[in-house]
Amino acid sequence: MRDPGSFRDPASHVVVEDGRVLRLLDERGLEGWQALEPSSFFRAAVADGRLVASKLIETETGPALEHPKLPFISYPYEWTFSMLKDAALLQLDLLEEALKDGITIKDATPFNIQFVDGRPLFIDVGSFERYNPGEPWLGYRQFTRQFLFPLMLHAWAGVPFQPWLRGSMEGPSAADMKRLLGFGRRVRPSVFLHVSLQARMERNLEGQSVRDGLESSGMNADLILNNVRKLRALVSKIELEVGNEGWISYEECTHVGRDRESKAEFLRAAISTNPPSRFLDLGANDAYFSEIASSEGAVAVAVDGDQPVLDAVYRRGSDVNIVVSDLTNLSPSQGWAGIERPDLVSRASPDMVLAYGIIHHLIYTASVPPTAVVDWLSSFRCPVVVEFVAPDDEMVQTLTANKHEDELHPNRDKDAFIALLQRDFEVLDTLTLGDGTRTLFSLQPSSS
Amino acid sequence: MLFGYLDAGSGSLILQALLGGAAGILVAFKAWKARLMGKEAIAEAEAEANAEESVPTDS
Repeated sequence: MRDPGSFRDPASHVVVEDGRVLRLLDERGLEGWQALEPSSFFRAAVADGRLVASKLIETETGPALEHPKLPFISYPYEWTFSMLKDAALLQLDLLEEALKDGITIKDATPFNIQFVDGRPLFIDVGSFERYNPGEPWLGYRQFTRQFLFPLMLHAWAGVPFQPWLRGSMEGPSAADMKRLLGFGRRVRPSVFLHVSLQARMERNLEGQSVRDGLESSGMNADLILNNVRKLRALVSKIELEVGNEGWISYEECTHVGRDRESKAEFLRAAISTNPPSRFLDLGANDAYFSEIASSEGAVAVAVDGDQPVLDAVYRRGSDVNIVVSDLTNLSPSQGWAGIERPDLVSRASPDMVLAYGIIHHLIYTASVPPTAVVDWLSSFRCPVVVEFVAPDDEMVQTLTANKHEDELHPNRDKDAFIALLQRDFEVLDTLTLGDGTRTLFSLQPSSS
Repeated sequence: MLFGYLDAGSGSLILQALLGGAAGILVAFKAWKARLMGKEAIAEAEAEANAEESVPTDS
């Protein structure tokens, strides 16, 4: 079955069959591989885990490369700032190394990179081909739109790139960036060149044929390398100001420290009853619990809407799979024909779901009725570990400070919640924490 | 071989020659002129220039 996201390049495309990932090659694709495989940069990059392993095999339809199946796929609109930055640096480093070996990379998109064990891995082996002197770097514009500009948008205009990339996967254009960046930024030479000048030249030369002209004018790999090195220096300098935004000071909440150990133990017991191979942590925050699941052998996916907190998780080298996503609006299926980039839940495909410290936010902040929240948890059709927070809890009191009773949904108390759970779940275990306002439930779908 | 399944942007292609450094400025300029005149036209113009040089002057 062809991977729904692999269709743009006629020379190769990916199919997934019986759990195997195969990249089918046509004549040109095979030529590209034959130029690539013996090159020293390629072997070095595979050896140090920056480029996916590939093995040439014969299939009924012709030659193919077999790649290892990655445990989880995520998309750039789900990455934290540092993840996109590291992906950008990997892209540029590989391009530089490849060019020195007479190879180029056809495109420059973060969709060619995945994160495995907390590090970026370049997976699109089909993007490499022999470099022919006179060729420009066709991927430059794409690099600026899908790597450079989102990073600048986030760090310099203070606009997180995730919602933008989710809605517009091509990324902001040079013209968009010109309007979004302040005058102070735009006059810096590097920004002036890649943003303002590119915007102007895109407008003036649109639709004109320039590739042949460039070739006969002496375009060569050294010019590309100079540009790539300067871009790398520029990207390295783009930094996000890390501060006490959002939930990053979560650990300082008194109840968190007090209850953390009990919650960990409760989770471990649930894991030992129904050992998960794929664990989905909704509202993962600092990924403490995801890491417990990961250490028990599960592929853990840590989802949270709070980018700074997850960025800290990434930067400390955690091996969990990080996803930045609003829990009330998880990544949907989108892209070409609505299937090119499948939705988050399908990709996570969990056999255990954790919902610590989030359902009260769904109920009180997002105003989702408790019945809908429980229906959603039961839709995963797998064991769930959930934390219930009673209406008299201190945090809930804060969240409802300006709401009247008739503006809140019914069934918010513990007994009503238990009744809702019992419609679809068997309650395996419960634990009441600290001052009695929070209760943990370990659930599995009822067999009936 | 070049593959155009992504829109490389004509302006961006010329720009990157410029971004290549001092050597690239000339490349970018020539390429920019070439787009007006076409590749064949440049080759023709160069060939004409060469032919003129080799015509012997009347002594």
